[in-house]
Amino acid sequence: MQESIIDINAICHTFSDGYIGIKNISVSIYKGEFIILSGKNGSGKTTLLRHLNGLLLPDSGIIFVNGQDVSKHLVQTRKTVGMVFQDADTQIVGDTVFDEVAFGLENLKVNRAEINEKVSLILENLNLFHLKDRSPSTLSGGEKRKLAIAGILVMDPEVIVFDEPFSNLDYPGTLQVLSTIINLNRSGHTIIIATHDVETIICEATRIIIMEKGLIKEDGEPDRIVKYLESYGVKEPCSSKFGLGLQPWLT
Amino acid sequence: MSLLSAHLLPCFVYAVILLFFFNKTGLNIFAILNSIKYFILLLFFIFIARALTVEGHIIFSFYGISITEQGLNEGFLVAFKFFLVMVTGLLFSTTTQPSSVKSAVQWFLKPIPFVPEKRVAVMISLSLSFMPVILKQAKEISDAQKARCGDLQKNPVKRIIRLVLPLLKKTFLSADSLVLAMESRCYNDDRTDPEFLPSGKENYFLVGSFVISLSLACL
Repeated sequence: MQESIIDINAICHTFSDGYIGIKNISVSIYKGEFIILSGKNGSGKTTLLRHLNGLLLPDSGIIFVNGQDVSKHLVQTRKTVGMVFQDADTQIVGDTVFDEVAFGLENLKVNRAEINEKVSLILENLNLFHLKDRSPSTLSGGEKRKLAIAGILVMDPEVIVFDEPFSNLDYPGTLQVLSTIINLNRSGHTIIIATHDVETIICEATRIIIMEKGLIKEDGEPDRIVKYLESYGVKEPCSSKFGLGLQPWLT
Repeated sequence: MSLLSAHLLPCFVYAVILLFFFNKTGLNIFAILNSIKYFILLLFFIFIARALTVEGHIIFSFYGISITEQGLNEGFLVAFKFFLVMVTGLLFSTTTQPSSVKSAVQWFLKPIPFVPEKRVAVMISLSLSFMPVILKQAKEISDAQKARCGDLQKNPVKRIIRLVLPLLKKTFLSADSLVLAMESRCYNDDRTDPEFLPSGKENYFLVGSFVISLSLACL
């Protein structure tokens, strides 16, 4: 039996203006899964993701990460569940690529020698080491997104959550980020991606969760869910439409 | 004696020192001058204003407007001093990494009680690194308005309001996203201190700066 890493029990969240973000969500996420969280704009994807990292806390219900209540163990949760935001520009805080990746470890008060060692290793793994002294603002879209991933990865998370990772990226940038995400999943990380464009990654996913109006409407394997996508406002991949099944985007 | 109250000779000596440093850093001085061309235009207006308003020995007069020798000297001196201050700032900002400025601010503020030096340093660093993002957003808003013939509006106040309001909104939204991103990476004030890598030449530079400043003051 698979071991769960995140357990969400009946959580609800209403914003201060009365808008209901999510309603009575219960779901378990297992180690090593590759999950696509999809749905129309405003369906509650981002709100749910922010609960996994403790950025939002539920009004009712409870979330456990590795068996610990998120609301009582925020730092541990944020170390376990890393979050890559949609807009890399507003996520980057460092003056150089190296400083940006070091930011998370500095917050955890890791000693400088260890920071230097870990940051160099991550930059080499993601093929960003040659850019270590560059200002992040001068990088391409794909490189910025990879830098944001490096900034999370250096904190050694078990789960990495992506909010629309391919938005505003050109084709080479999308390829760069896609291959990085696939490699992360193959190296044992649990991946959760919120997107309304599933075509790029559906072939790699082990599970799709569809949300609508703050509720989970579908939850299952991509092969089964793919035909229902359009009824929830999500475009069905072309290969599936033309009867070719799910084809990998990365050749 | 500060640079602003100094006379012409020390200013020239200081300009030579600046030229030496420009040469050492390999920066293209013409590119630097080009980047401050509007500031140089402003200095020219300051020079003209001084030349026309300071009383003294008249060297040229036309319909009651007089240019005096003292006005020309004073105008040149003031404009030259402003120019040196500007170029010094440029030299500093182009040769110093924002992270070094951040570390220095943190180091200077550390002995002062009740000042959260780490938070101040992070705020300065964020301000510096977000300038390109804010400028990019301002350009996008300006272009979007031009695309809808916004440049036909000749009233400068209305044009500024149309630019500033959406820019402020975008900046605040970006700041919100930044806060979330920092929180998600466990940001707190109790962080690892910045790395200080001494080159071993700090004392020479300290003594050198002191001697140069003293010499300029005595001139």
